[in-house]
Amino acid sequence: MPMIVGVVAGVAVVAIAVLIGLFKMMWRVAEPNEALIISGSKHRTEGLEEGMGFRIVTGRGTLVLPGVQAVRKLSLDLNETELHVDCVTHQGIPLKVRGVVIFKVGDDFVSIANAGRRFLDQQKMMSERVHNVFAGHLRSIVGGLTVEDMIRDREKLTGQTRAACGTEMEKLGLIVDSLQIHEIEDPTGYIQNLAMPHAAAVQRDARIAQAEANRLATEAEQQSFARMAQATRDSEILQAGYQAERDKAGAKARQAGPLADAAARQEVVVQETRVAELEAHRREQQLQADVRKPADAKAYEKRTLAEGERDARISAAQAKAKETELAAAAEATRVKTAAGAEAEATKSRGSAMAAATRATGEAEAAAAQARGLADAEATKAKGLAEAEAIKARASALAENQEAVVAQQLAENWPEIVKAGASAFGSVDNMVVLNGADGMAEMLAKALTMGGTGLGLARQLLASMNQNAPTPNGTSPSLNGIAAPPSQKVPVEKDV
Amino acid sequence: MDDASMVGLMGRVTGTVGPGLVGEVIVRVRGGAEHFLAYPATGTVRIERGTVVMVVEYLPPRTVYVTAAYDS
Repeated sequence: MPMIVGVVAGVAVVAIAVLIGLFKMMWRVAEPNEALIISGSKHRTEGLEEGMGFRIVTGRGTLVLPGVQAVRKLSLDLNETELHVDCVTHQGIPLKVRGVVIFKVGDDFVSIANAGRRFLDQQKMMSERVHNVFAGHLRSIVGGLTVEDMIRDREKLTGQTRAACGTEMEKLGLIVDSLQIHEIEDPTGYIQNLAMPHAAAVQRDARIAQAEANRLATEAEQQSFARMAQATRDSEILQAGYQAERDKAGAKARQAGPLADAAARQEVVVQETRVAELEAHRREQQLQADVRKPADAKAYEKRTLAEGERDARISAAQAKAKETELAAAAEATRVKTAAGAEAEATKSRGSAMAAATRATGEAEAAAAQARGLADAEATKAKGLAEAEAIKARASALAENQEAVVAQQLAENWPEIVKAGASAFGSVDNMVVLNGADGMAEMLAKALTMGGTGLGLARQLLASMNQNAPTPNGTSPSLNGIAAPPSQKVPVEKDV
Repeated sequence: MDDASMVGLMGRVTGTVGPGLVGEVIVRVRGGAEHFLAYPATGTVRIERGTVVMVVEYLPPRTVYVTAAYDS
């Protein structure tokens, strides 16, 4: 029994293993870079028309019946083909072009179908085929281009490549990702010559730049050398100056000894000279004392003696002359004095008499003049006074006759009284009674007797006694308040 | 995939498209970007590199006719 179970289990395991193996044989998966081309049974094919007879699977798994269906893989990887082509350019220049074409099978089913039909068994030879195709095409492409275009104008190269190969490769189900020209061999040296002018220009510029740089460098160098020489010169000049100063100082130092000797000798000579001078001086002094002084003394003695004798003689002569002169002068003086006295006396007498006569005359003249002047003055004053009085009176009369008359009366009151009183001229002494009234009465009477036209005056007097104090000169006591009973009035006799 | 789905896709010109030229556009398709040979859809137009274009016709396997997507 357990044996049966074991056999059943083994059979089941085997069956499962067989099933798994079968499934693995039937289930095929397309990797990303490949397409499965399945043929052998009628299938509905995606993206392709009926009648193609196979189906294309990309990127997924599919069930395949082993023995019934055939599965082939078509690689979608990138391929490249080296190109070595001898070709001739548009200008007729032969070139050897080395390049590379990078291509692959198109990703769409049409391209895969085209490529599958053409290359499925020849995938290894695909590069060779493409090389053959491209070799011819490249010749035509290069033939349509110039060397300059190939070198410089990549756009034109790719454009030409597409134009020549694009449709061609479409037929093969391939797409060209890139066409690269690696190398252009140039047996005629065209490209080299093409580059030559530019190279020459570059070389020229380089040489110019080099020369310029050299020139600048040389200039800088020479300037530097000049500066160095200048610095050297300055330094040498300075050194020479210092050397000269050193030599000078050395010479001075070497001369110092002899100079000191000479100075010392000079000092000695000076001192010796001084000594000699002193010696001479001393000798001179000696000579002076010994010789000159005695001679001088002798000469002085003689001269003094002679002078004394001469002076004595002169004095004697002078005395004599003086004596004579004095005698004559005395005589003259005496005569002159006598004559002068006489003259003086005569003159004094004359002048005295003249003075007396003159004084007398002058006195008389002065007296006469004084009298005359006095008379004239008096007359003049009188006339003036009268004229003034008449004028005043006239004006007064013109203005206020009564007042003027009163004023005049008052002014002339003493005269009037005198005139009145002349009646009393013979009276020696008069006693007036009855105070002021009595006096007034008596005066009135006297006045009545004395002059004409005195009525008015009397009236005035009466009014004055009533009103106000009388004008001055009459009597200060006429106010009548405390009048003394009697008083004496002096009467002048003279006018 | 459906061929008709190419029509209407946008792409960029990588090689000048014009009369007498075989141009190239790169289009985002099938989860990647593929390039196609391109011709102008309307006769005489020249479309410079870098221009955004729209696919108006697709001729399998690798040819499209394009027109400029924006008025430039």
